[in-house]
Amino acid sequence: MALKDFKADMERCSQCSYCKWVPLDHVKSWRFAKGCPSIAYSNFLSYSARGRYAVALSLLKGQSTITDKVVDIVYKCTTCGSCDVADKICRYNLEPLEMIREMRFHLVEKGKVLPEHTRLIEHIRKEGNMMLEPAARRGDWAKGLDVKIVTREPAGVLFHAGCRASYDKDLQETARSAVAILKKAGVDIGIMGADETCCGGRVYDMGYKDDFKKLAEQTVAVWKKAGVKTVVTACADGYYAFSRLYPKLLGAEIEVFHITQYLDRLIKEGKLKLRKRVPLRVTYHDPCHLGRQGEPYVPWDGKEIKVKNQIVVYEPRRPRYNGAWGVYDPPRDVLKSIPGIELVEMERIREYAWCCGAGGACREAYPEFSGWTAAERIEEARATGAEAIVSACPWCERNFIDAVSATGDKLKVYDVIDLVKQAI
Amino acid sequence: MAIPKEAYQALEDIVGEANISNDPAVLDCYRYPLTHTAIHLGPYYRVYTPRGAAVLLPGSTEEVQAIVRLCNKYKIRFKPSSTFWSAWGFPLEDDTIQLDMRRMDKIIEIDEKNMYAVVEPHVIGAILQAEAMKLGLNTHIHGPGSSCSCLASATSLGGLGPDTLYMGHHSENLIGAEWVMADGDVLKVGAAGSGLGWFCCDGPGPSLKGLVRGMIGANGSMGVFTKAAIKLYPWPGPATLPVTGKPPAYKAVLPDNIRAYTLGFPSWKAWADSCYLLWDNMIGYVAHRQFNMFGRDLKGAMVKILSDPTRTLYDIVELAEDPETRKLNDAMMRDYQIVLAGMTPADIDWQDKALDVILKQTGGWKVQGMMQPDLYDWSLLYMIRLGHKNLNLVYGGGYDGAFGLGGTPDFGTSAAEEGGIPRVEEVTAFKREWEKKGNIVASGGDGMMGGIGGMGGGGHGLWENFTHFDPHDKASTEGTLEFFNACSQFGIEKGWGPGMEKMNDYARWTDGYTTPKDIHDRILSAAAQPEAFRYQRKIKETFNPNDLGDAYYRTLDDPGK
Repeated sequence: MALKDFKADMERCSQCSYCKWVPLDHVKSWRFAKGCPSIAYSNFLSYSARGRYAVALSLLKGQSTITDKVVDIVYKCTTCGSCDVADKICRYNLEPLEMIREMRFHLVEKGKVLPEHTRLIEHIRKEGNMMLEPAARRGDWAKGLDVKIVTREPAGVLFHAGCRASYDKDLQETARSAVAILKKAGVDIGIMGADETCCGGRVYDMGYKDDFKKLAEQTVAVWKKAGVKTVVTACADGYYAFSRLYPKLLGAEIEVFHITQYLDRLIKEGKLKLRKRVPLRVTYHDPCHLGRQGEPYVPWDGKEIKVKNQIVVYEPRRPRYNGAWGVYDPPRDVLKSIPGIELVEMERIREYAWCCGAGGACREAYPEFSGWTAAERIEEARATGAEAIVSACPWCERNFIDAVSATGDKLKVYDVIDLVKQAI
Repeated sequence: MAIPKEAYQALEDIVGEANISNDPAVLDCYRYPLTHTAIHLGPYYRVYTPRGAAVLLPGSTEEVQAIVRLCNKYKIRFKPSSTFWSAWGFPLEDDTIQLDMRRMDKIIEIDEKNMYAVVEPHVIGAILQAEAMKLGLNTHIHGPGSSCSCLASATSLGGLGPDTLYMGHHSENLIGAEWVMADGDVLKVGAAGSGLGWFCCDGPGPSLKGLVRGMIGANGSMGVFTKAAIKLYPWPGPATLPVTGKPPAYKAVLPDNIRAYTLGFPSWKAWADSCYLLWDNMIGYVAHRQFNMFGRDLKGAMVKILSDPTRTLYDIVELAEDPETRKLNDAMMRDYQIVLAGMTPADIDWQDKALDVILKQTGGWKVQGMMQPDLYDWSLLYMIRLGHKNLNLVYGGGYDGAFGLGGTPDFGTSAAEEGGIPRVEEVTAFKREWEKKGNIVASGGDGMMGGIGGMGGGGHGLWENFTHFDPHDKASTEGTLEFFNACSQFGIEKGWGPGMEKMNDYARWTDGYTTPKDIHDRILSAAAQPEAFRYQRKIKETFNPNDLGDAYYRTLDDPGK
């Protein structure tokens, strides 16, 4: 696809501004009504999906050029997909998130990139990770862990740690806990260790689709060689990449679970028993790439047609990704299975959850915006009276940890895995 | 067209570098396509409103005042807009600066005892409703839906909507305003102007509500409103709407004292009679012919699609042909939706019994197909929150309204002559013929949507015939324009006059710019009350001496000038 392929969408945009808010039915207060962090932070219309449609059309028509402002507009977006969900309440035939990604592909092709992204990409090309760390140390998080390395010894299930959990000292223990829990539940688990590379999901969101393809092909090749059939990951970005992008762009077919789905299944099958009390009042943050973007991939190859003269539909029936079928309940069910845990909900949850701010490589390129977005979420968590915010993605957790630290807040930050570990 | 460099710098000094831009791509985000919604002109294929000179995001009344004073100094036009719904909020000329009021988004106060809220421009209906409901109160949400600004509707447009029956127009609900006048003075209108609080817009204190609003609001052309006091109403429901369901099929199960029905009638006379009986007996919290906007032949299919998260528009043809859906359409052919809200159990029981009596007297019925739980709960939430109003555009992105049979319900539902065809059916037949040409959605001719009770307490209805098209498709857009021109001609021949399809022709023309004066004057001179526009000319000369607004504020020169 190219940016011009979205011209119809650009001209059909309703200009209704739904893209700025949570779905209006779900507005519960003034404080937590906003859905799009980008326009909430930057305020100009240009920073909404509606605005980006207009910017893209302006560029296509040659009415403007890619200025620093345009670069800022295109990249100061966490690709959280809130606009996509809100739009599709009333519009069945718009894909704003896909268009926003296409804008990035377009800018990368034109060489209009951010130095922070360039640095990341150059590093990923050499060392295969988003963390500016050496590839050789990728497996260090698992040192001392009695676990199979699947490139040497087959395993039933591959645990993909992901870049953040592999290198982030505060989060490595979560990855270790994940392996320990799965082993305890009798899962024949293995890891890639130092042979694991970046899933490419964030690379794709940054606009580097060729680099994404290379990373993905590399990963799939290693999996194939190692006989991997099932992948479990604790990273929402990884889950999205493996379950949606890999099948869509590579045709790769592999069984993918997020760790919360897997744990939920193990608990319900009685293979994992949580007996120790963890007395804690928590609220759960839905990671964007697990929640609203975590819907199952449905292959589709079709075209636009019109019925009843001018109703735009697609032949064959096009899947409608609007957040309805994301992974929302398994993490909640896991938390509810932990004795002593009291789960309270924030105002913005599920498909209309507020983003953590880390996505779209905004954490790296726009730390102030990213931090502000996370701080907003922390405030929302505080408003529930919770003692802790729990998520299911190391990128969310890192952003929350930093936001809590920056504000001196006492709110604890956990992954679902951390609490399960405490309950075993 | 650029503004002087020193003027731009001075504006930047007022709002800060982060809150001003003249980047071309940013300015193009503040241009509205004239193929779109509720612009009530055109549609004109690939024509946009002019690119303004700069866009600013003021954060306070003081900043707004400083901007306006500067504009007067340099004679720069300015156009404020809050939520940018429709072309009204956008410049008519290139040399205009756009004020985006987004940063002024606070609810200043909600006075629970006296039942009003004071809001800034970017407070949208959904937010005010959510906050008001926590206190047992509710706000009127006007027709374009709860994503739109309450202040803009109250000060700058008409403000009618589905709950107008109970909660009036926003123009009626304006009980005070803070107005940065077009010359840069700041005035609090009404009781607030005497420091007596925000309880009355018509005094004591400077009583300028009529002057400020004019005939149909100031349209962003007479200064900038930075606060508005909005009257609130009782809400006998939960403090937070208990919304469940998967998108887009959100629904809410509300307590039994709040009920939603779709009513059907055996004839248009019965339909009209029911309206009078509703008003005479003072029942109804929301009443609107809402779902007919999808078209007489498609509304049954659409409500099923919208209330089922597994369905998409792809299912519309199959569903529309399904016998069960056809039965639903038949039952809903002459319909409207109503919400009853009882303040007490006895109240809701009485209202529902009264409704049953009205239905018996008129031969009407509660449409059973809309009573099954998912549809019922979906439609109840829809009518209360009005968070799905952009379904106007669901089919392909383009919509506008034609005709607009406004007045007493009898007007639309009766025939011009004894034994003739009701006007609503004349319009339906007329549009059905045009649907055959293929440029507009074949929805069954009758796409008329409108309020049952266009003023607080009833008495007035309005029927806008929704017409759906594809703004990306040249033939569709130009075919729609041809249809609307034909609608105007039809209305003239019938003695009704041109309808809503031409409502804004007086201000904005085919190129997106100000309508040429001779055409503008001819249109307004032919209106029912041109003297009102001549009076507004005097108002403009007094309060906007440098003429820094635009032609949306209706004025006419004195004859002979």
